[in-house]
Amino acid sequence: MKSGRKQVKRMTGAMRIIHWANAISMVAAVITGLYIGHPYYQTLIADGAVDKYVMAWNRWGHFIVAIIFDVTSIVVAYLYFFSRFEKPYKKLIPNGKNVTEFGEVLLNLVTLNRRKKFDSTHSDSFNTVYFAIFHLLLVWMLFTGLQLYVHGLESGESSIGAWWPAMLHLVTDWTIPITGGSLMDVRISHHVTMWLIVTWVAFHIYYQIWRTIFWKEGDIAIVFGGSKFAKEQES
Amino acid sequence: MAERIDGVRKLFTSKSARVDTNRGDLYYQQLFDTCRARLDALREQPAVNRLDFDSLLTDEGQDRREFMKWVSAVTAMLMLPPMFTPLVAEAAELMNRLPVVWLELQDCAGNSEALLRSDGPKIDEIVLDIISLEFHESLMAPSGHQAEKQLEDAMEHFKGNYLLFVEGSIPVGAGRDWCTIGASGETFLDHLNRVAENAAAVVAVGACATFGGIPAAAPNPTGAVGVMDVVKGKPVINIPACPANPANMVGVVLHYALTGQVPELDSLLRPKFAFGYRIHDNCERRAHFDAGEYVEEWGDEGAKNNFCLYKMGCKGPMTFNNCSIVRYNEGVNWPIGVGRGCIGCSEPDFWDKYAYERPMANANIKAPTGGVEKTVDQFGLGLLTAAGIGIGIHAVASAVAGKREEGGEG
Ligand code: SF4
Ligand code: SF4
Repeated sequence: MKSGRKQVKRMTGAMRIIHWANAISMVAAVITGLYIGHPYYQTLIADGAVDKYVMAWNRWGHFIVAIIFDVTSIVVAYLYFFSRFEKPYKKLIPNGKNVTEFGEVLLNLVTLNRRKKFDSTHSDSFNTVYFAIFHLLLVWMLFTGLQLYVHGLESGESSIGAWWPAMLHLVTDWTIPITGGSLMDVRISHHVTMWLIVTWVAFHIYYQIWRTIFWKEGDIAIVFGGSKFAKEQES
Repeated sequence: MAERIDGVRKLFTSKSARVDTNRGDLYYQQLFDTCRARLDALREQPAVNRLDFDSLLTDEGQDRREFMKWVSAVTAMLMLPPMFTPLVAEAAELMNRLPVVWLELQDCAGNSEALLRSDGPKIDEIVLDIISLEFHESLMAPSGHQAEKQLEDAMEHFKGNYLLFVEGSIPVGAGRDWCTIGASGETFLDHLNRVAENAAAVVAVGACATFGGIPAAAPNPTGAVGVMDVVKGKPVINIPACPANPANMVGVVLHYALTGQVPELDSLLRPKFAFGYRIHDNCERRAHFDAGEYVEEWGDEGAKNNFCLYKMGCKGPMTFNNCSIVRYNEGVNWPIGVGRGCIGCSEPDFWDKYAYERPMANANIKAPTGGVEKTVDQFGLGLLTAAGIGIGIHAVASAVAGKREEGGEG
């Protein structure tokens, strides 16, 4: 540890598990989702259908990671407000302090760290807003995905009871008129949102690495060990 | 936008898309009693034509056994338990008490054709023969003023009792004044509204009458819309598809004869007995879909083996209809059965959003922002590239700036 720096705990064990569960799920969801949209690899065409379930396995994988995603989204939504550790929603309130901080972090990014007038010890409002956008995109994926899915439970029955499809209809049917009136619109929106998320991820990874290099506070370690380092306050 | 808000409101107030095939004994007992009373009342009514179902059946060389087989199939199609079979048979026989008026607007007459054309009269047709078709522009003998007179008479005589079938879309935009009917030059819009006024219920048949269909496809030069966007204050039943399946028309009419009510509808006003399921869920090629075995090219090995048509652009996974169960042309076959993907003809905006006969991922879909034709994947990749370039510039700038700083320090 460099002198003059103190270790700050930034992510609890649970938060790190959620982070990596999300990251792995996302990679799996994108790969299987691209296959579902356009089955790009083929099976040996002459075999019987009995012993290979290529599309079915892709859909299986897609749905399993989607469910993991959905459940972690609920946990994250809870943590937003009730975490005993950090309550992200406090950074989302557009009050003067947060708006200024948001601007400062953005300026820090575009001036390439020439100007840094905010406390980077804890999550700043820029990053919190950025993550909030991500979570909104995920929630949208959740609703549109479940809408596309529920129609496979054709008769209103499912292995866990009739309540499940009934609830899915109740909770996700509104996505049809919102996206343009047909299931195809829901599908397109689900697909476009995937690209938005992939783009989000690209910037996310870049930004975390950039901060690690330029701030010299070990930000990338947050997601592995749970803590980063902050300069001791000069007194 | 207002339309969408309206759609959302409707959605939350309408029953969910769930199909309930078993509602319990009590429900069916009550329904049975209602139907019994309804049929008795119908029997009391004078027949509106002299056709007699039984003799028609014999004339066409169909026997009673054949008819009963058909009746049990229809009972099942309407999602009613077997105890309703005798009632359905009775309803078919009493069909000559039901006056029907049929209007053709912006259409190709494909639905009328579907109803009429077949290799030999089958029971569906006999049933439809016997309903009293009081007015149908393409089928009736009178023309001009005489035809108009017939319509006026039917509207007057059966006020509040007739079923109005509508085929074709209604131009309400620029085309409103181009499309007129009869010697008086009444617009389609006024004509429909006037005839619908006295109808018991309005049945929109085919893709055009339900959701605007091909006339409403972009750029929709006439400003075509479906019946449900025009007719207010009347029950509207949508039987989309291009053409609507005669089996579903018969189903709706029978249901109406039987119960005096419109069947249970989904949020797009389609009867759930016909549109409660996706094509995909009852498709004979479904095993190949799950196996990942697709036709890759017309006439390839996969096509010869009846593999799934998903990669050839089949829209079965998001299309609701019972074609995969009841099929077309007397149940002989259906599009996927002949080796051709579903083009989603029973869905709203099918021509713009479904009918591209290419694999979904290769299709030129209208971007949600409107206007520009661009595929979603191209858009996504473009966005990702833009982000990548942005990141790259920032990274290079950062690296350069970082060096400079270090240089300055050192
Ligand atoms: S042919 Fe179409 S409807 Fe049939 S399984 Fe394949 S995708 Fe589904
Ligand atoms: S298979 Fe699809 S395109 Fe063909 S009639 Fe049925 S719904 Fe229409």
